[in-house]
Amino acid sequence: MRLRPNLREPAVALLFIIPAFIGLAVFFYYPIGQTVIFSLFDLDHTTDWMNAPFVGLNNYADVIRSRQFWLSLRFTLIFSIVSVFLQFWIGLAMAMATFAVVPRLRGVLRAIIIIPWAIPQIIQAAMWKWLYNTDVGLIGDVLVRTGLVDSPPLFLADPRLAMGAVIFAYVWKTASVTSIFLMGGLAMVPDHLTDAAKVDGARAWMRFWRITVPLIMPTILVTLLFRTRDALRAFDIIYGLTGGGPGTQTEVLSSFAYKFYFTFVEYGLGSAYALITFVLVMALSLLYLKRIQPHLRFRS
Amino acid sequence: MRLLGKKRLQWVYSIGLVLVISLFCLAPLYWIVITSFKTPGTEFRKPVEYWPSDLSLESYGVILGPQFRIQNAIKNSFIVSSAVTLGALLVNSLSAYTIARLRFKYKIESLILIQLAGMVPPIVTIAPTFVLIRSMGLLQTLWGLILPNIAYNIPIGTWLMAAYFAGLPTDLEDAAKVDGYPPFSTFWRVIMPLAAPGLFSAGVLAFMGSWGEFMLALTISLGLPDAQTVPVAILTFSQRHELQWAWVSAGIVLSLLPVIVMVLIFQKWVIKGLTAGAVKY
Repeated sequence: MRLRPNLREPAVALLFIIPAFIGLAVFFYYPIGQTVIFSLFDLDHTTDWMNAPFVGLNNYADVIRSRQFWLSLRFTLIFSIVSVFLQFWIGLAMAMATFAVVPRLRGVLRAIIIIPWAIPQIIQAAMWKWLYNTDVGLIGDVLVRTGLVDSPPLFLADPRLAMGAVIFAYVWKTASVTSIFLMGGLAMVPDHLTDAAKVDGARAWMRFWRITVPLIMPTILVTLLFRTRDALRAFDIIYGLTGGGPGTQTEVLSSFAYKFYFTFVEYGLGSAYALITFVLVMALSLLYLKRIQPHLRFRS
Repeated sequence: MRLLGKKRLQWVYSIGLVLVISLFCLAPLYWIVITSFKTPGTEFRKPVEYWPSDLSLESYGVILGPQFRIQNAIKNSFIVSSAVTLGALLVNSLSAYTIARLRFKYKIESLILIQLAGMVPPIVTIAPTFVLIRSMGLLQTLWGLILPNIAYNIPIGTWLMAAYFAGLPTDLEDAAKVDGYPPFSTFWRVIMPLAAPGLFSAGVLAFMGSWGEFMLALTISLGLPDAQTVPVAILTFSQRHELQWAWVSAGIVLSLLPVIVMVLIFQKWVIKGLTAGAVKY
Protein backbone atom coordinates (compact mmCIF):
# COMPACT_ATOMS: atom_id res chain seq x y z
CA MET A 1 0.00 0.00 0.00
CA ARG A 2 2.80 2.36 0.90
CA LEU A 3 4.81 1.41 -2.16
CA ARG A 4 2.20 1.84 -4.83
CA PRO A 5 1.93 5.64 -4.89
CA ASN A 6 5.71 5.90 -4.86
CA LEU A 7 6.09 3.61 -7.83
CA ARG A 8 3.64 5.65 -9.80
CA GLU A 9 5.16 8.97 -8.93
CA PRO A 10 7.23 9.58 -12.10
CA ALA A 11 4.20 8.68 -14.21
CA VAL A 12 2.03 11.08 -12.24
CA ALA A 13 4.70 13.77 -12.55
CA LEU A 14 4.66 13.37 -16.31
CA LEU A 15 0.87 13.46 -16.39
CA PHE A 16 0.82 16.68 -14.37
CA ILE A 17 3.35 18.48 -16.50
CA ILE A 18 1.84 17.45 -19.83
CA PRO A 19 -0.83 20.19 -20.02
CA ALA A 20 1.89 22.83 -19.68
CA PHE A 21 3.97 21.12 -22.35
CA ILE A 22 1.01 21.03 -24.73
CA GLY A 23 0.44 24.76 -24.18
CA LEU A 24 4.10 25.55 -24.78
CA ALA A 25 4.29 23.29 -27.82
CA VAL A 26 1.21 24.78 -29.49
CA PHE A 27 1.74 28.45 -28.71
CA PHE A 28 5.54 28.74 -28.41
CA TYR A 29 7.57 25.96 -29.96
CA TYR A 30 5.41 25.20 -32.98
CA PRO A 31 5.09 28.92 -33.91
CA ILE A 32 8.85 29.42 -33.50
CA GLY A 33 9.50 26.51 -35.86
CA GLN A 34 6.96 27.86 -38.29
CA THR A 35 8.53 31.34 -38.17
CA VAL A 36 11.92 29.80 -38.97
CA ILE A 37 10.36 28.06 -41.97
CA PHE A 38 8.56 31.25 -43.06
CA SER A 39 11.82 33.13 -42.97
CA LEU A 40 13.29 30.84 -45.63
CA PHE A 41 10.57 31.44 -48.22
CA ASP A 42 9.41 34.31 -50.35
CA LEU A 43 5.94 34.80 -48.88
CA ASP A 44 4.35 37.75 -50.62
CA HIS A 45 0.71 38.00 -49.51
CA THR A 46 0.51 34.34 -48.56
CA THR A 47 1.39 32.00 -45.71
CA ASP A 48 1.27 28.94 -47.93
CA TRP A 49 4.98 28.25 -47.81
CA MET A 50 4.68 24.81 -49.38
CA ASN A 51 3.83 26.45 -52.69
CA ALA A 52 6.10 29.45 -52.31
CA PRO A 53 9.61 29.82 -53.74
CA PHE A 54 12.37 28.75 -51.36
CA VAL A 55 14.91 31.53 -51.02
CA GLY A 56 17.29 30.17 -48.39
CA LEU A 57 18.85 32.93 -46.35
CA ASN A 58 17.98 35.65 -48.85
CA ASN A 59 15.43 37.24 -46.52
CA TYR A 60 18.09 37.64 -43.87
CA ALA A 61 20.47 39.07 -46.43
CA ASP A 62 17.78 41.52 -47.51
CA VAL A 63 17.17 42.55 -43.93
CA ILE A 64 20.84 43.07 -43.14
CA ARG A 65 21.38 45.00 -46.34
CA SER A 66 18.52 47.41 -45.66
CA ARG A 67 19.32 50.72 -44.03
CA GLN A 68 16.07 50.61 -42.15
CA PHE A 69 17.13 47.48 -40.29
CA TRP A 70 20.21 49.18 -38.87
CA LEU A 71 18.19 52.25 -37.95
CA SER A 72 15.56 50.26 -36.11
CA LEU A 73 18.21 48.10 -34.45
CA ARG A 74 19.91 51.29 -33.33
CA PHE A 75 16.73 52.71 -31.88
CA THR A 76 15.86 49.37 -30.24
CA LEU A 77 19.21 49.49 -28.44
CA ILE A 78 18.99 53.19 -27.52
CA PHE A 79 15.43 52.67 -26.33
CA SER A 80 16.42 49.69 -24.18
CA ILE A 81 19.57 51.12 -22.66
CA VAL A 82 18.16 54.55 -21.85
CA SER A 83 14.81 53.31 -20.60
CA VAL A 84 16.30 50.57 -18.40
CA PHE A 85 18.76 53.06 -16.95
CA LEU A 86 16.01 55.57 -16.13
CA GLN A 87 13.56 52.97 -14.85
CA PHE A 88 16.20 51.56 -12.60
CA TRP A 89 17.16 54.83 -10.91
CA ILE A 90 13.62 56.19 -10.68
CA GLY A 91 12.37 52.80 -9.51
CA LEU A 92 15.10 52.48 -6.91
CA ALA A 93 14.50 56.01 -5.64
CA MET A 94 10.79 55.30 -5.26
CA ALA A 95 11.44 51.94 -3.60
CA MET A 96 13.84 53.52 -1.11
CA ALA A 97 11.34 56.28 -0.44
CA THR A 98 8.81 53.67 0.74
CA PHE A 99 11.30 52.65 3.43
CA ALA A 100 12.31 56.21 4.29
CA VAL A 101 8.86 57.65 4.96
CA VAL A 102 7.12 57.38 8.31
CA PRO A 103 5.46 53.95 8.63
CA ARG A 104 1.96 55.40 8.47
CA LEU A 105 2.49 56.69 4.93
CA ARG A 106 4.19 53.52 3.67
CA GLY A 107 1.02 51.80 2.47
CA VAL A 108 -0.27 54.91 0.69
CA LEU A 109 3.03 55.39 -1.08
CA ARG A 110 3.11 51.78 -2.25
CA ALA A 111 -0.43 52.13 -3.58
CA ILE A 112 0.54 55.25 -5.53
CA ILE A 113 3.61 53.59 -7.00
CA ILE A 114 1.73 50.50 -8.11
CA ILE A 115 -0.94 52.38 -10.09
CA PRO A 116 1.01 52.99 -13.34
CA TRP A 117 1.81 49.27 -13.42
CA ALA A 118 -1.91 48.47 -13.57
CA ILE A 119 -2.44 50.46 -16.76
CA PRO A 120 -2.06 48.40 -19.95
CA GLN A 121 0.78 49.69 -22.08
CA ILE A 122 -1.35 50.44 -25.10
CA ILE A 123 -3.74 52.52 -23.01
CA GLN A 124 -0.76 54.48 -21.78
CA ALA A 125 0.18 55.07 -25.37
CA ALA A 126 -3.25 56.64 -25.93
CA MET A 127 -2.92 58.68 -22.71
CA TRP A 128 0.50 60.00 -23.59
CA LYS A 129 -0.58 60.94 -27.07
CA TRP A 130 -2.93 63.40 -25.43
CA LEU A 131 -0.41 64.47 -22.80
CA TYR A 132 2.07 65.27 -25.58
CA ASN A 133 -0.48 67.24 -27.62
CA THR A 134 1.36 70.30 -28.84
CA ASP A 135 -1.36 72.92 -28.44
CA VAL A 136 -3.13 71.95 -25.27
CA GLY A 137 -1.25 68.92 -23.88
CA LEU A 138 -0.24 68.81 -20.24
CA ILE A 139 3.50 68.44 -20.80
CA GLY A 140 3.84 71.23 -23.33
CA ASP A 141 1.62 73.56 -21.31
CA VAL A 142 3.58 72.98 -18.11
CA LEU A 143 6.86 73.58 -19.94
CA VAL A 144 5.56 76.85 -21.36
CA ARG A 145 4.04 78.04 -18.09
CA THR A 146 7.22 77.36 -16.14
CA GLY A 147 9.11 79.32 -18.77
CA LEU A 148 11.34 76.41 -19.82
CA VAL A 149 10.36 76.83 -23.47
CA ASP A 150 8.80 79.66 -25.43
CA SER A 151 6.40 77.62 -27.49
CA PRO A 152 5.28 74.04 -26.89
CA PRO A 153 7.56 71.53 -28.63
CA LEU A 154 6.31 69.13 -31.30
CA PHE A 155 6.88 66.09 -29.12
CA LEU A 156 5.75 63.42 -31.55
CA ALA A 157 6.46 65.16 -34.86
CA ASP A 158 10.03 66.26 -34.24
CA PRO A 159 12.24 63.25 -35.00
CA ARG A 160 14.60 63.71 -32.08
CA LEU A 161 11.98 64.63 -29.53
CA ALA A 162 9.81 61.71 -30.60
CA MET A 163 12.51 59.26 -29.48
CA GLY A 164 12.70 60.89 -26.05
CA ALA A 165 8.93 61.12 -25.79
CA VAL A 166 8.48 57.40 -26.44
CA ILE A 167 11.18 56.50 -23.97
CA PHE A 168 9.75 58.72 -21.24
CA ALA A 169 6.23 57.35 -21.67
CA TYR A 170 7.62 53.82 -21.41
CA VAL A 171 9.70 54.68 -18.36
CA TRP A 172 6.67 56.14 -16.62
CA LYS A 173 4.98 52.75 -16.55
CA THR A 174 7.96 50.52 -16.09
CA ALA A 175 9.57 52.49 -13.24
CA SER A 176 6.57 51.28 -11.29
CA VAL A 177 7.21 47.55 -11.70
CA THR A 178 10.97 48.04 -11.33
CA SER A 179 10.30 49.76 -8.04
CA ILE A 180 8.14 46.89 -6.80
CA PHE A 181 10.87 44.37 -7.73
CA LEU A 182 13.46 46.38 -5.83
CA MET A 183 11.19 46.81 -2.80
CA GLY A 184 11.36 43.03 -2.46
CA GLY A 185 15.14 43.19 -2.30
CA LEU A 186 15.25 46.17 0.05
CA ALA A 187 12.82 44.49 2.43
CA MET A 188 15.46 41.82 3.03
CA VAL A 189 18.20 44.24 4.04
CA PRO A 190 18.37 43.85 7.82
CA ASP A 191 17.85 47.15 9.66
CA HIS A 192 20.61 46.46 12.17
CA LEU A 193 23.30 46.61 9.47
CA THR A 194 22.41 50.08 8.25
CA ASP A 195 21.77 51.19 11.84
CA ALA A 196 25.20 49.98 12.91
CA ALA A 197 26.79 51.88 10.06
CA LYS A 198 24.81 54.95 11.06
CA VAL A 199 26.17 54.66 14.60
CA ASP A 200 29.67 54.34 13.17
CA GLY A 201 29.11 57.64 11.44
CA ALA A 202 28.83 56.40 7.85
CA ARG A 203 27.18 58.97 5.60
CA ALA A 204 23.91 58.07 3.88
CA TRP A 205 25.62 57.88 0.50
CA MET A 206 28.29 55.52 1.84
CA ARG A 207 25.70 53.35 3.54
CA PHE A 208 23.88 53.11 0.23
CA TRP A 209 26.89 52.06 -1.86
CA ARG A 210 28.69 49.90 0.71
CA ILE A 211 25.80 48.15 2.42
CA THR A 212 22.50 48.41 0.59
CA VAL A 213 23.68 47.93 -3.00
CA PRO A 214 25.88 44.84 -2.36
CA LEU A 215 23.12 43.24 -0.31
CA ILE A 216 20.44 43.69 -2.95
CA MET A 217 22.77 42.93 -5.86
CA PRO A 218 21.04 39.64 -6.78
CA THR A 219 17.68 41.42 -6.93
CA ILE A 220 19.18 44.25 -8.96
CA LEU A 221 20.62 41.85 -11.52
CA VAL A 222 17.42 39.87 -11.90
CA THR A 223 15.45 43.09 -12.18
CA LEU A 224 17.77 44.40 -14.88
CA LEU A 225 17.50 41.11 -16.75
CA PHE A 226 13.70 41.20 -16.73
CA ARG A 227 13.53 44.88 -17.59
CA THR A 228 16.04 44.69 -20.44
CA ARG A 229 14.29 41.69 -21.91
CA ASP A 230 11.00 43.55 -21.76
CA ALA A 231 12.48 46.70 -23.31
CA LEU A 232 14.12 44.83 -26.20
CA ARG A 233 10.78 43.40 -27.22
CA ALA A 234 8.68 46.52 -26.56
CA PHE A 235 5.94 46.90 -29.11
CA ASP A 236 2.71 48.34 -27.69
CA ILE A 237 3.98 51.74 -26.65
CA ILE A 238 5.56 52.38 -30.04
CA TYR A 239 2.68 51.03 -32.06
CA GLY A 240 0.20 53.15 -30.11
CA LEU A 241 2.13 56.35 -29.52
CA THR A 242 4.05 57.06 -32.72
CA GLY A 243 3.34 54.10 -34.98
CA GLY A 244 7.09 54.13 -35.60
CA GLY A 245 7.00 57.73 -36.84
CA PRO A 246 7.75 60.42 -37.67
CA GLY A 247 8.86 58.61 -40.81
CA THR A 248 10.46 55.50 -39.36
CA GLN A 249 12.35 57.33 -36.65
CA THR A 250 10.98 55.46 -33.64
CA GLU A 251 10.57 52.08 -35.33
CA VAL A 252 11.93 49.20 -33.22
CA LEU A 253 12.59 45.68 -34.49
CA SER A 254 9.27 44.34 -33.18
CA SER A 255 7.14 47.12 -34.59
CA PHE A 256 8.92 46.90 -37.92
CA ALA A 257 8.43 43.14 -38.10
CA TYR A 258 4.75 43.61 -37.30
CA LYS A 259 4.47 46.02 -40.25
CA PHE A 260 6.05 43.46 -42.54
CA TYR A 261 3.55 40.86 -41.40
CA PHE A 262 0.30 42.72 -41.34
CA THR A 263 0.77 45.90 -43.41
CA PHE A 264 3.08 44.79 -46.23
CA VAL A 265 1.99 41.14 -45.81
CA GLU A 266 5.52 39.88 -46.41
CA TYR A 267 5.69 36.98 -43.96
CA GLY A 268 9.15 35.90 -45.06
CA LEU A 269 10.84 39.22 -44.36
CA GLY A 270 8.78 39.80 -41.21
CA SER A 271 9.89 36.41 -39.87
CA ALA A 272 13.51 37.25 -40.52
CA TYR A 273 13.11 40.49 -38.55
CA ALA A 274 11.33 38.70 -35.71
CA LEU A 275 14.01 36.02 -35.43
CA ILE A 276 16.78 38.58 -35.34
CA THR A 277 14.96 40.23 -32.41
CA PHE A 278 14.73 36.83 -30.75
CA VAL A 279 18.45 36.13 -31.12
CA LEU A 280 19.21 39.53 -29.64
CA VAL A 281 17.00 38.92 -26.60
CA MET A 282 18.36 35.41 -26.09
CA ALA A 283 21.99 36.45 -26.38
CA LEU A 284 21.51 39.20 -23.86
CA SER A 285 19.60 36.98 -21.44
CA LEU A 286 22.29 34.31 -21.53
CA LEU A 287 24.99 36.89 -20.99
CA TYR A 288 23.13 38.22 -18.00
CA LEU A 289 22.38 34.80 -16.55
CA LYS A 290 26.05 33.95 -16.70
CA ARG A 291 26.80 37.13 -14.81
CA ILE A 292 24.10 36.48 -12.23
CA GLN A 293 25.06 32.89 -11.44
CA PRO A 294 27.76 33.50 -8.81
CA HIS A 295 25.42 35.81 -6.92
CA LEU A 296 22.73 33.16 -6.91
CA ARG A 297 24.97 30.57 -5.34
CA PHE A 298 25.84 33.08 -2.71
CA ARG A 299 22.18 33.46 -1.83
CA SER A 300 21.31 29.82 -1.37
CA MET B 1 11.65 68.69 22.82
CA ARG B 2 14.41 67.65 20.44
CA LEU B 3 12.64 64.35 19.89
CA LEU B 4 9.42 66.10 18.97
CA GLY B 5 11.28 68.28 16.49
CA LYS B 6 12.88 65.26 14.89
CA LYS B 7 9.57 63.55 14.51
CA ARG B 8 8.03 66.59 12.90
CA LEU B 9 10.95 66.82 10.49
CA GLN B 10 10.42 63.19 9.57
CA TRP B 11 6.77 63.88 8.79
CA VAL B 12 7.68 66.90 6.70
CA TYR B 13 10.08 65.05 4.43
CA SER B 14 7.79 62.03 4.30
CA ILE B 15 4.95 64.16 3.02
CA GLY B 16 7.36 65.83 0.61
CA LEU B 17 8.41 62.45 -0.80
CA VAL B 18 4.81 61.31 -1.15
CA LEU B 19 3.92 64.51 -3.00
CA VAL B 20 6.82 64.27 -5.44
CA ILE B 21 6.13 60.61 -6.21
CA SER B 22 2.40 61.30 -6.57
CA LEU B 23 3.18 64.04 -9.04
CA PHE B 24 5.22 61.62 -11.12
CA CYS B 25 2.83 58.67 -10.90
CA LEU B 26 -0.55 60.36 -10.84
CA ALA B 27 -0.32 63.61 -12.81
CA PRO B 28 -0.83 61.88 -16.18
CA LEU B 29 -3.89 60.12 -14.78
CA TYR B 30 -5.26 63.32 -13.27
CA TRP B 31 -4.98 64.94 -16.68
CA ILE B 32 -6.98 62.14 -18.31
CA VAL B 33 -9.63 62.24 -15.58
CA ILE B 34 -10.24 66.00 -15.85
CA THR B 35 -10.26 65.82 -19.64
CA SER B 36 -12.99 63.21 -19.44
CA PHE B 37 -15.17 65.64 -17.46
CA LYS B 38 -14.71 68.56 -19.82
CA THR B 39 -17.55 69.30 -22.22
CA PRO B 40 -16.47 67.64 -25.48
CA GLY B 41 -14.82 70.29 -27.64
CA THR B 42 -13.66 72.45 -24.75
CA GLU B 43 -10.62 70.26 -24.13
CA PHE B 44 -8.89 72.25 -26.89
CA ARG B 45 -9.69 75.65 -25.37
CA LYS B 46 -6.81 77.87 -24.32
CA PRO B 47 -5.59 78.68 -21.74
CA VAL B 48 -5.59 75.08 -20.60
CA GLU B 49 -7.93 74.46 -17.68
CA TYR B 50 -6.51 72.35 -14.87
CA TRP B 51 -9.86 72.28 -13.21
CA PRO B 52 -12.75 72.22 -15.70
CA SER B 53 -14.99 75.27 -15.27
CA ASP B 54 -18.01 73.21 -16.23
CA LEU B 55 -18.09 69.58 -15.23
CA SER B 56 -19.85 67.52 -17.86
CA LEU B 57 -20.77 63.87 -18.08
CA GLU B 58 -21.48 64.11 -21.79
CA SER B 59 -18.39 62.12 -22.83
CA TYR B 60 -19.40 59.25 -20.59
CA GLY B 61 -22.81 59.22 -22.27
CA VAL B 62 -21.16 59.05 -25.68
CA ILE B 63 -18.65 56.35 -24.76
CA LEU B 64 -21.33 54.14 -23.22
CA GLY B 65 -23.80 54.91 -26.00
CA PRO B 66 -24.58 52.92 -29.15
CA GLN B 67 -21.69 54.49 -31.08
CA PHE B 68 -18.98 52.97 -28.89
CA ARG B 69 -20.33 50.68 -26.22
CA ILE B 70 -17.10 50.51 -24.22
CA GLN B 71 -18.95 48.20 -21.83
CA ASN B 72 -18.73 45.47 -24.47
CA ALA B 73 -14.97 45.66 -24.53
CA ILE B 74 -14.83 45.69 -20.73
CA LYS B 75 -17.08 42.64 -20.62
CA ASN B 76 -14.95 40.84 -23.22
CA SER B 77 -11.82 41.62 -21.25
CA PHE B 78 -13.38 40.30 -18.06
CA ILE B 79 -14.44 37.06 -19.72
CA VAL B 80 -11.03 36.51 -21.32
CA SER B 81 -9.01 37.41 -18.24
CA SER B 82 -11.14 35.34 -15.86
CA ALA B 83 -11.00 32.30 -18.10
CA VAL B 84 -7.26 32.73 -18.58
CA THR B 85 -6.75 33.05 -14.83
CA LEU B 86 -8.62 29.85 -14.05
CA GLY B 87 -7.00 27.89 -16.87
CA ALA B 88 -3.51 29.16 -16.12
CA LEU B 89 -3.78 28.44 -12.39
CA LEU B 90 -4.79 24.86 -13.06
CA VAL B 91 -2.15 24.16 -15.71
CA ASN B 92 0.61 25.98 -13.85
CA SER B 93 0.02 24.53 -10.43
CA LEU B 94 0.02 21.01 -11.86
CA SER B 95 3.32 21.55 -13.65
CA ALA B 96 4.77 23.47 -10.71
CA TYR B 97 3.84 20.59 -8.40
CA THR B 98 5.79 18.20 -10.60
CA ILE B 99 8.79 20.50 -10.59
CA ALA B 100 8.77 21.40 -6.92
CA ARG B 101 7.56 18.20 -5.28
CA LEU B 102 7.46 15.05 -7.38
CA ARG B 103 10.18 12.63 -8.37
CA PHE B 104 10.73 13.26 -12.05
CA LYS B 105 13.74 12.42 -14.14
CA TYR B 106 13.54 15.37 -16.53
CA LYS B 107 13.04 18.19 -14.05
CA ILE B 108 15.92 20.35 -15.22
CA GLU B 109 15.07 19.81 -18.87
CA SER B 110 11.43 20.71 -18.21
CA LEU B 111 12.38 23.82 -16.33
CA ILE B 112 14.66 24.95 -19.15
CA LEU B 113 11.95 24.28 -21.73
CA ILE B 114 9.48 26.35 -19.71
CA GLN B 115 11.84 29.22 -18.98
CA LEU B 116 13.10 29.41 -22.58
CA ALA B 117 9.53 30.03 -23.66
CA GLY B 118 9.47 33.00 -21.31
CA MET B 119 12.23 34.66 -23.30
CA VAL B 120 10.43 34.50 -26.62
CA PRO B 121 9.39 37.94 -27.86
CA PRO B 122 5.71 37.87 -28.90
CA ILE B 123 6.62 39.08 -32.39
CA VAL B 124 8.29 35.71 -33.06
CA THR B 125 5.12 33.70 -32.52
CA ILE B 126 2.46 36.12 -33.70
CA ALA B 127 2.25 35.28 -37.42
CA PRO B 128 2.05 31.48 -37.08
CA THR B 129 -0.33 31.89 -34.12
CA PHE B 130 -2.57 34.02 -36.31
CA VAL B 131 -2.50 31.34 -39.03
CA LEU B 132 -3.17 28.63 -36.45
CA ILE B 133 -6.12 30.44 -34.91
CA ARG B 134 -7.51 31.14 -38.35
CA SER B 135 -7.31 27.47 -39.24
CA MET B 136 -9.05 26.59 -35.98
CA GLY B 137 -11.84 28.98 -36.98
CA LEU B 138 -11.32 31.04 -33.85
CA LEU B 139 -10.58 34.44 -35.38
CA GLN B 140 -12.72 37.16 -33.76
CA THR B 141 -13.71 34.86 -30.92
CA LEU B 142 -12.83 35.09 -27.27
CA TRP B 143 -11.56 31.50 -27.33
CA GLY B 144 -8.97 32.62 -29.84
CA LEU B 145 -7.61 34.88 -27.09
CA ILE B 146 -8.15 32.65 -24.08
CA LEU B 147 -6.15 29.64 -25.25
CA PRO B 148 -2.94 31.44 -26.29
CA ASN B 149 -3.04 33.68 -23.23
CA ILE B 150 -3.13 30.66 -20.93
CA ALA B 151 0.00 29.42 -22.67
CA TYR B 152 1.65 32.86 -22.43
CA ASN B 153 1.24 32.72 -18.65
CA ILE B 154 2.90 29.30 -18.27
CA PRO B 155 6.55 30.42 -17.87
CA ILE B 156 6.01 33.01 -15.15
CA GLY B 157 3.04 31.21 -13.56
CA THR B 158 4.81 27.88 -13.23
CA TRP B 159 7.82 29.67 -11.83
CA LEU B 160 5.79 31.47 -9.17
CA MET B 161 3.84 28.41 -8.13
CA ALA B 162 6.93 26.20 -8.02
CA ALA B 163 8.64 28.72 -5.74
CA TYR B 164 5.56 28.71 -3.54
CA PHE B 165 5.17 24.92 -3.41
CA ALA B 166 8.86 24.53 -2.60
CA GLY B 167 8.34 26.61 0.52
CA LEU B 168 5.43 24.56 1.88
CA PRO B 169 5.97 22.00 4.66
CA THR B 170 6.02 18.39 3.46
CA ASP B 171 4.53 16.55 6.45
CA LEU B 172 0.86 16.79 5.44
CA GLU B 173 1.70 15.54 2.00
CA ASP B 174 3.74 12.64 3.40
CA ALA B 175 0.87 11.73 5.68
CA ALA B 176 -1.49 11.71 2.69
CA LYS B 177 0.92 9.47 0.79
CA VAL B 178 1.20 7.04 3.67
CA ASP B 179 -2.56 6.91 3.90
CA GLY B 180 -2.60 5.90 0.25
CA TYR B 181 -4.26 8.99 -1.16
CA PRO B 182 -4.13 8.89 -4.95
CA PRO B 183 -1.76 11.58 -6.27
CA PHE B 184 -4.39 13.83 -7.74
CA SER B 185 -6.39 14.03 -4.54
CA THR B 186 -3.21 14.72 -2.57
CA PHE B 187 -2.61 17.57 -4.93
CA TRP B 188 -6.18 18.82 -4.95
CA ARG B 189 -7.15 18.36 -1.31
CA VAL B 190 -3.87 18.77 0.53
CA ILE B 191 -1.57 20.96 -1.53
CA MET B 192 -3.97 23.35 -3.20
CA PRO B 193 -5.64 24.58 0.01
CA LEU B 194 -2.21 25.17 1.55
CA ALA B 195 -1.10 27.08 -1.52
CA ALA B 196 -4.10 29.42 -1.57
CA PRO B 197 -2.11 32.63 -0.93
CA GLY B 198 0.39 31.76 -3.66
CA LEU B 199 -2.43 30.87 -6.04
CA PHE B 200 -4.02 34.20 -5.31
CA SER B 201 -0.86 36.15 -6.20
CA ALA B 202 -0.29 34.13 -9.35
CA GLY B 203 -3.96 34.55 -10.23
CA VAL B 204 -3.93 38.34 -9.97
CA LEU B 205 -0.80 38.48 -12.13
CA ALA B 206 -2.31 36.15 -14.74
CA PHE B 207 -5.45 38.30 -14.82
CA MET B 208 -3.50 41.52 -15.27
CA GLY B 209 -1.23 39.95 -17.88
CA SER B 210 -4.06 38.93 -20.17
CA TRP B 211 -6.01 42.12 -19.42
CA GLY B 212 -3.21 44.20 -20.91
CA GLU B 213 -2.20 41.84 -23.73
CA PHE B 214 -2.34 43.78 -26.98
CA MET B 215 -0.51 42.31 -29.96
CA LEU B 216 -2.53 39.10 -30.18
CA ALA B 217 -5.80 40.83 -29.29
CA LEU B 218 -5.25 43.33 -32.09
CA THR B 219 -4.37 40.63 -34.60
CA ILE B 220 -7.23 38.29 -33.74
CA SER B 221 -9.98 40.92 -33.59
CA LEU B 222 -9.37 41.97 -37.23
CA GLY B 223 -10.54 45.48 -36.43
CA LEU B 224 -14.12 44.44 -35.68
CA PRO B 225 -15.73 45.04 -32.29
CA ASP B 226 -17.07 41.52 -31.57
CA ALA B 227 -13.96 40.19 -29.89
CA GLN B 228 -12.25 43.43 -28.98
CA THR B 229 -10.79 43.61 -25.52
CA VAL B 230 -10.18 46.89 -23.70
CA PRO B 231 -6.69 47.63 -25.07
CA VAL B 232 -7.76 47.14 -28.68
CA ALA B 233 -11.02 49.05 -28.23
CA ILE B 234 -9.30 52.08 -26.67
CA LEU B 235 -6.66 52.16 -29.37
CA THR B 236 -9.29 51.91 -32.10
CA PHE B 237 -11.36 54.74 -30.57
CA SER B 238 -8.37 56.98 -30.15
CA GLN B 239 -7.31 56.45 -33.75
CA ARG B 240 -10.79 56.85 -35.22
CA HIS B 241 -11.60 59.96 -33.19
CA GLU B 242 -8.27 61.60 -32.93
CA LEU B 243 -9.69 65.00 -32.07
CA GLN B 244 -12.26 63.84 -29.51
CA TRP B 245 -10.00 63.59 -26.51
CA ALA B 246 -12.81 64.07 -24.00
CA TRP B 247 -14.54 60.95 -25.37
CA VAL B 248 -11.34 58.95 -25.51
CA SER B 249 -10.42 60.03 -21.98
CA ALA B 250 -13.81 58.95 -20.67
CA GLY B 251 -13.22 55.56 -22.31
CA ILE B 252 -9.79 55.31 -20.72
CA VAL B 253 -11.16 56.20 -17.28
CA LEU B 254 -13.97 53.66 -17.47
CA SER B 255 -11.68 50.90 -18.70
CA LEU B 256 -9.05 51.60 -16.05
CA LEU B 257 -11.41 51.88 -13.13
CA PRO B 258 -12.01 48.15 -12.60
CA VAL B 259 -8.33 47.13 -12.76
CA ILE B 260 -7.04 49.98 -10.65
CA VAL B 261 -9.61 49.22 -7.96
CA MET B 262 -8.70 45.55 -8.16
CA VAL B 263 -4.98 46.18 -7.91
CA LEU B 264 -5.42 48.52 -4.95
CA ILE B 265 -7.59 45.99 -3.12
CA PHE B 266 -5.21 43.12 -3.83
CA GLN B 267 -2.07 45.25 -3.51
CA LYS B 268 -0.46 42.95 -1.00
CA TRP B 269 -0.74 39.92 -3.27
CA VAL B 270 0.39 41.82 -6.34
CA ILE B 271 3.53 42.96 -4.57
CA LYS B 272 4.15 39.47 -3.20
CA GLY B 273 3.76 37.90 -6.62
CA LEU B 274 5.95 40.41 -8.42
CA THR B 275 8.71 40.36 -5.82
CA ALA B 276 8.67 36.56 -5.62
CA GLY B 277 9.36 36.53 -9.34
CA ALA B 278 12.37 38.79 -8.90
CA VAL B 279 13.77 37.75 -5.55
CA LYS B 280 13.41 33.99 -5.60
CA TYR B 281 15.15 33.55 -8.89
